[in-house]
Amino acid sequence: MNNFISANLPYLLAGISVGGQYALIAIGYTMVYGILRLINFAHGDIFTVAAYLMVYMNATMPLYISLPMTIILTVLLGFGVERVAYKPLRQAPRMSIMISAIGVSYLLQNLMWYVTGGLAQQYPTIPFISNTVRIFGATTKIVTLITPVLTLVLVMMLSLLIHRTKIGLAMRAVSRDFETSRLMGIKINNVISVTFIIGSFLAAIGSMLYFSNYTAVTPTAGAMPGLKAFVAAVFGGIGSIPGAVIGAFIIGICENIIKALGLTTFSDAFTFALLIIVLVFKPTGLFGEAVYEKV
Amino acid sequence: MKIFKTIIAALLVVCALFMIYTSYTAKDSLPGLLERMDPQNLAETDSQMQRAKKRVTDGLMEDNKEKTLRGLERYLNGFADKLVIDTQVQYELFAYQNGPSMIAGGLLLLVAGIVLILSAYCKIAQARRLGIHVLLITVLFVGVYILENTVGANSMLMMVLKKGAIYALVAVAMNLLNGFTGLFSLGQAGFMLIGAYVYAIFSIETGNRAQVYQYYAGGLIQFSLPTLVSIALAGLAAAFFAYLIGLPVLRLKSDYLAIATLGFAEIIRAVFQYDGLGPITNGSNLLRKFPVFETVLFPFAVAGVCILLIALMIHSTYGRAFKAIRDDEIAAEAMGINLYHHKQMSFVISSFFAGVGGALLAMYQTTVQAKAFTAAMTYEILLIVVIGGMGSISGSILASFLFVAASEWWLRFLDNATVIGNFKVPLLRSGFRMVVFSVVIMAVVLFYRQGIMGDKEFSLSKLRDRFTRGKGGAGRV
Repeated sequence: MNNFISANLPYLLAGISVGGQYALIAIGYTMVYGILRLINFAHGDIFTVAAYLMVYMNATMPLYISLPMTIILTVLLGFGVERVAYKPLRQAPRMSIMISAIGVSYLLQNLMWYVTGGLAQQYPTIPFISNTVRIFGATTKIVTLITPVLTLVLVMMLSLLIHRTKIGLAMRAVSRDFETSRLMGIKINNVISVTFIIGSFLAAIGSMLYFSNYTAVTPTAGAMPGLKAFVAAVFGGIGSIPGAVIGAFIIGICENIIKALGLTTFSDAFTFALLIIVLVFKPTGLFGEAVYEKV
Repeated sequence: MKIFKTIIAALLVVCALFMIYTSYTAKDSLPGLLERMDPQNLAETDSQMQRAKKRVTDGLMEDNKEKTLRGLERYLNGFADKLVIDTQVQYELFAYQNGPSMIAGGLLLLVAGIVLILSAYCKIAQARRLGIHVLLITVLFVGVYILENTVGANSMLMMVLKKGAIYALVAVAMNLLNGFTGLFSLGQAGFMLIGAYVYAIFSIETGNRAQVYQYYAGGLIQFSLPTLVSIALAGLAAAFFAYLIGLPVLRLKSDYLAIATLGFAEIIRAVFQYDGLGPITNGSNLLRKFPVFETVLFPFAVAGVCILLIALMIHSTYGRAFKAIRDDEIAAEAMGINLYHHKQMSFVISSFFAGVGGALLAMYQTTVQAKAFTAAMTYEILLIVVIGGMGSISGSILASFLFVAASEWWLRFLDNATVIGNFKVPLLRSGFRMVVFSVVIMAVVLFYRQGIMGDKEFSLSKLRDRFTRGKGGAGRV
C-alpha cells in the first residue's frame, strides 16, 4: 500500500499542481470570452512572455524587484494587446477579431524567437518554492503544494471582486448584454481593459508557478498549456470562473494519470478528445449557461 | 478584320510548327553542325580542340543533355576564333541549347493561333472567353517552364513558385470552408498531415521500405502505388477523416467549431507519432524516399486542376448554397437549404484538397514528419486567406505566392547582420524577418481587413473595362 502511494502520489500531486496552473490561465480565457465572445489566442503567448520577462529580469535584478516588475509588465502587455489589436475591431465580425488574436499570437511568438534566438532558456529558481520536500515517501517541489492553495485563494479574491465591487457588477452586466450595459452608462472599454488586466495578472502568476516546475522556456512553450487551459474553460462552461477552475483541475489530473499509465504521447490528444466529447454532448460545459439565439 | 486575324493566326501556327520542328530535329543535326562550324577540320591538328570537341560528342553518345550542353559551351567559348559561326549555325545552336523552351514557346504560339481563329469565326461568346483563358493558362505554364530552364530548377524563384502553388491550393481549400461557407475551421494542418502521410506511406518504393522502416522491420505495407494514385488516395483519406469528424463537430457554432477542429488536428498529430502505429506511420521518425517532383510544372498542374474544380464548385448551385449559409444560416435554412448536409459537403471537399495539398507538400519537402504539421501551419494558411480576402479564390492564390515569396525570399536580408561602411545596421539579425513579417500581417488584419481582393475575383473583362474606358470610376460597374 505504501509502495503504491509513493509510486503514484507524484503523478497525482503533479496533476493537481498543473491543474492549478491551467486554472490561472483558464480564468483569463473564460473572462475574456464571457465579455467579448472572443477566444484570445494570444493568451498562451502572454503567459510565455511573462516567463521570458522573469528570465531576463532575474538576471539583472534582485528577486523582490524582478517578481513584481514581471507581473506589472505582463499586465501592461495584456492591456496593450487589447488596445492595439482588439479595440479597433469592436464593430467588426467576430471572425475578424479571432483572426487578429491569431495574428497577435504569431507576432508574439516571432518576437520572442527574435529576442531570444530561439534557444531554450533556464527559468530562474525562485527561493523557497523551488525547494524539494518529501511527503509520504514521494519527492516533490514545494511549488506543487503551493499551487492549488494559491489558486484557490486567488479565485476567491477574484470572486469577491466580481460579486462585491462596482467594477465586478459592471463586468457581470457587460457579459450578460453588451449593448444594453453600454446604454446603461457602463464604460465598456474600461471594463474590457480591467478584464484583460486581471487575465494577464493571473497568467503572470501562473507562468511563475508553471515554469518553476518545467524550467525550459522556449517561444512556443506556452502554446500547449494555453490551449489546454482553453479546453479547461470550455469544459467547465465558458464564461464561468468556478467552471474553469474545476475543469482545469480535472484536465490536469487526468493528463497526469495518462502519463502514469505510460501513454505520454496521448496526454495532449486526450485533452482535445475530451474537448470534442464535451462539445458534442454538453456544448455549454459543466457550469455554462445555455444561450438561445434569437432570429 | 476577319481576314487580318486569319492571316496572323496562320503566321503564328506556321511559326509554331517551325519552332517545334527545328528543336525536335536539332539533336540529330548537332554532329553535322559541329562539322559545319569547323569546315577545315582544324580540330584534327589541335589536340586541345580535339578533346573539347570529343567531350561534346561523348555527351551526345551518352544521351546526357547536361553534359553535352556544358561541353558545347566550353567548346564554343574556348575556340571562338577558330570556328566559323554564321547566322544559320547560330540559329541551330540556339535551337539545340533551348530546345525545351522552344517547344514550349511553339506550343504557346499554336494555342494563340487557335484562340485567334476562334475569336474570328466562333459565334459563341463563351467559347471565345474560354479560349482566352486557355491562352492565359498556356502562357503561365510556358512562362514557368522557360523560367525553370533558364534560372535552374533549384533556384530560390523556383522554390517559391513550387511552395506557392502548394500553399495556393491549401489556401483556396481553406477559403472554400472559411470564406465561402463561413465555417471557421482550424483543422487544415491535420488534414494536410493525413494527406502527406498517406501519400508517403503508399508511394515509397518496395525496395526502399526496409531502409525507411528500419526500426519497424520494414513496415507492414509491402507494395507501392503510382504517384497520382497515391495523391488521390491522400485526398480521399483526408476527406474520409473529415467526414467522420464532421459528424459531431459541424453542429457546433463558430468559435467552438474552430477550437474543436484545432483539437482534432492535435489529436491526429499525436496519433501519427504513436509508437504502436510504427509499422505503418514509422512512429515519430521521418518518412522519406518516396517519389518527388522534378519539375515545377507538376505542382502547378495538380494545384491548378484542383483549384479549377473548387472554382467550378463555387460557381455551381452548391456554391450559392454555401454563400447563403455564410451570409445567414437561418434564412438559408428557410429557403430550403439543408444546413448540415451542405456544411458536411463543404468540409469534406475542403479537406480532400487539403489532403492533396499535404501530399504535394510532402513531395516538395522530400521528407515527412508529423511534428511539422502544427497549429502554426494552420495559422499561416489562415493568414494567407485573410490577406488575399475571405471569399476570393484569386486573392488566396495571389496571397500565397506573395506570402511564400516574402517569408522565404524577399525579407531574407532582414535576417543577416549588415554593415554599411562603419555603420552596423541595428536590429538586423536572425529572426527579424519573421517579426517584420508578422507586423505587416497585423497591419493588414487591422487596417486593411478586406485583404487584397476582398470578396471579388480577378476578372479579365473588368480589367479591360478599366483600361478601355479611361480613368475615373466609369469602368467600375
